[in-house]
Amino acid sequence: MGMLRDFFDKFEPSFLKGGRYEKYFPLYEMIESLALTPRTVTTVAPHARSFVDMKRIMTYVVISTIPCILMALYNTGYQANGAIMALGPDSATGWRAWLVAKSGLPFDPGNPFSNLFFGALYFLPIYIVTLAIGGIWECLFAVVRGHEVNEGFLVTSMLFVLILPASTPLWQVALGISFGVVLGKEVFGGTGKNFLNPALVGRAFLYFAYPANMSGDTVWTPVDGFSGATALGITAAEGPQALANHGISWWDAFFGLIQGSLGETSTLACLLGLVFLLATRIANWRLIVGCLGGMIGFSLLLNLIGSDTNPMFAMPWYWHLVLGGYAFGLVFMVTEPVSASQTNVGRYVYGALIGFMVVMIRVINPAFPEGMMLAILFGNIFAPLIDFFVIKANIARRAKRNA
Amino acid sequence: MSQTRKELLVDPLVDNNPITLQVLGICSALAVTSSLQVAAVMALAVTTVTAFSSFFISMLRNQIPSAIRIIVQMVIIASLVIVVDQILKAYFYDISKTLSVFVGLIITNCIVMGRAEAFAMKNPPVASFIDGIGNGLGYSLILMLVGFIRELFGSGSLFGVTILQTVNNGGWYVPNGLLLLPPSAFFVIGLLIWAFRTWKPEQVEAREFRIQTVEAH
Amino acid sequence: MPEQEPQGFWARFKALPVDSTPKTIFVAVALCLFCSMVVAMAAVSLRPVQEANKLRDKRINILQVAGLYEPGMDVNEAFTSSFTPKVVDLSTGEYTDAVDVATYDERAATQDLNLSVALTDDPAGIGRRANYETVYLMENPDGSLDKVILPIHGYGLWSTLWGFIALEANGNDIYGLQFYEHAETPGLGAEVDNPRWRAQWNGKKLRDDEGDLEITVSKAPSPAGPEFHVDALAGATLTSRGVDNLVRYWMGEDGFGPYLARLREGDA
Repeated sequence: MGMLRDFFDKFEPSFLKGGRYEKYFPLYEMIESLALTPRTVTTVAPHARSFVDMKRIMTYVVISTIPCILMALYNTGYQANGAIMALGPDSATGWRAWLVAKSGLPFDPGNPFSNLFFGALYFLPIYIVTLAIGGIWECLFAVVRGHEVNEGFLVTSMLFVLILPASTPLWQVALGISFGVVLGKEVFGGTGKNFLNPALVGRAFLYFAYPANMSGDTVWTPVDGFSGATALGITAAEGPQALANHGISWWDAFFGLIQGSLGETSTLACLLGLVFLLATRIANWRLIVGCLGGMIGFSLLLNLIGSDTNPMFAMPWYWHLVLGGYAFGLVFMVTEPVSASQTNVGRYVYGALIGFMVVMIRVINPAFPEGMMLAILFGNIFAPLIDFFVIKANIARRAKRNA
Repeated sequence: MSQTRKELLVDPLVDNNPITLQVLGICSALAVTSSLQVAAVMALAVTTVTAFSSFFISMLRNQIPSAIRIIVQMVIIASLVIVVDQILKAYFYDISKTLSVFVGLIITNCIVMGRAEAFAMKNPPVASFIDGIGNGLGYSLILMLVGFIRELFGSGSLFGVTILQTVNNGGWYVPNGLLLLPPSAFFVIGLLIWAFRTWKPEQVEAREFRIQTVEAH
Repeated sequence: MPEQEPQGFWARFKALPVDSTPKTIFVAVALCLFCSMVVAMAAVSLRPVQEANKLRDKRINILQVAGLYEPGMDVNEAFTSSFTPKVVDLSTGEYTDAVDVATYDERAATQDLNLSVALTDDPAGIGRRANYETVYLMENPDGSLDKVILPIHGYGLWSTLWGFIALEANGNDIYGLQFYEHAETPGLGAEVDNPRWRAQWNGKKLRDDEGDLEITVSKAPSPAGPEFHVDALAGATLTSRGVDNLVRYWMGEDGFGPYLARLREGDA
């Protein structure tokens, strides 16, 4: 450890004010604080001290996504292997399949090593591109604006990767993360000032810009010629009871062995992440309660109303919970503190609004089978307004009490 | 007169652009910029209407009773717009089909009303006419820039001529569908404003609110 | 010399301040009269050109769906030399003189209770259907029937799609399909305009040998055979379903079915 400290100390002066590379201090700071605990301490009032600084929070969030990452690797490989098995070995094309074949692993969804390896070959290129391109933007803004590169970017890039379909072309990944980082965050002043979730902004950009690569039946399993609707797509067309005919049970959806974006299929993995985030008190439970309440309440209401023409009306809440991006969004995006409401009452309202909107979009909008992304962005926009009214009501109540 | 005629004409292009600085006339800039040809016709229509409405209003400015000032301006603008709309329908039928309701909405375009109220009511006709042309050109400039970006990257063509052969037609370019949707103009105009203000820092508004920082002592 | 009182009505009126009530009223009335005259003149004098444009636009669409259109051609000449418009009574499938073919407007007719019926079974999502539709007959040089062009419309995802379908003289083989007005999603549903997709329609058949309407737009191949199947648009499920519904509706018994039956038998 001491050696590393000495190493940094040797270079530090040339990055400080007056040094030769003063302009590049943010880059130096990024590498230093990644390696070592920063030495800066609070010196002026108020002295609120905590072990949990922003760096710790962001690291915890990345840790909490680990179950989802593992599931992303496994399920991507599982779906790809399954598709190759169904279509025959001729469909195993591309360098990834070539590598799998070379390594001696079978294209067999029953083989966990093959699944993990195959999945990693999809996951890693996307993740590396995201880190590289997003990182370039972060450093550029840090240097020009003279602020520090911070760990929020690691969270953004991880979440962004986990909500992409495995077949996303890499240039689209690069465009999406650029849009998310620049227009979702940096134009508003950087981390902590973004009123929208940058990962979702990037995803939404891709969704509207390249819908053919982001939705439909052929994008979820990255095997050419394979076509299969997502569980939500099936429900929208044929109703929730049809899922069984397609071999999808509730437990499949819960464990995540269904088609969907890389890391959002497994409700179980998301719940593990949620437990960690709640235990470390990074996620606020009021947001979770609000969002579950809104979703369950509105889907029960729709079940009650019923519809002859729209089978989605009959979809029970426990299916809404495990399908699509609901669980992932609930755990990692609704709880994001910057873009959520800040008041306690506001958090219930904010969560409920998202829960309500996601069911609304899934069931009633004919164009979008999945609604979590749009619902959260919608909630993000309303979060400051919700806080405003909560605070106003509070002021009014206190004024009355003390009148 | 405080400004020369040249200033009246050139000033609204960049230094006092109606869209990027005054943020007026955004509605039509969103709606008609997915193709350059349509944007060009719209730009021409708005420039014509702004110039002539300023001209006529300035001619009448000493006769317009202040009580019905706005209504008089509206009537003049509306008449001009209807005439333009009729001419488009007669001689540019295809384009008027695409522009549809937006020609009519020039009536509510803030640039036209804004110039009438802010300039033409106080200045002689010829100066007002030039001011109208200048502001119309400022509007046109942004419209064409946005249209250029949206058509090139949204459909791979410029003025309908294919530049980037798209995948659906056997080429390599994957068109960006977002750029064909009206909200994308928000992003493009926002980025243009960003670029303009980086180029001309004096356009940046004073901050209403500064976040307090505590310096260590 | 003392200031003279203005003499006469007009002079006294002119001397009034601009903001006085009489002058305000005068300016308002004069301006309105003048502007309404300008607007009315523009509208009246340009109307013939506008009407001609509208007609020309419709004719271009019909020429396009029949595969006759070339940029720069004399549209009206080409149209009148190739096509004979006729009005068909949809319920009987026979030509009718109940309305004047030159002025009949299907879109206006759907608003007219006497000229249209409300639909109870409405797969195309159009609400009301006109009783009469104008069809365009294209004849060979020898006078025999070459193709018929039928107007069709129906609801997609966001909008009503308006178009024409061109059929061979046997009333069963599709020559082409084209929409001239819609507002579907750019890049997805709007690909109904893509020439590559439209080219698929050429050579498809409406009905099988038993006379069952088999034509369908879907992702999966049709069990009836490839000649009855058009691939759905990638990523545009609902627009494709809309096209499927509207083609099947208009080609079915509630649409041009009776007329097509007569064409097949060769007595239309």
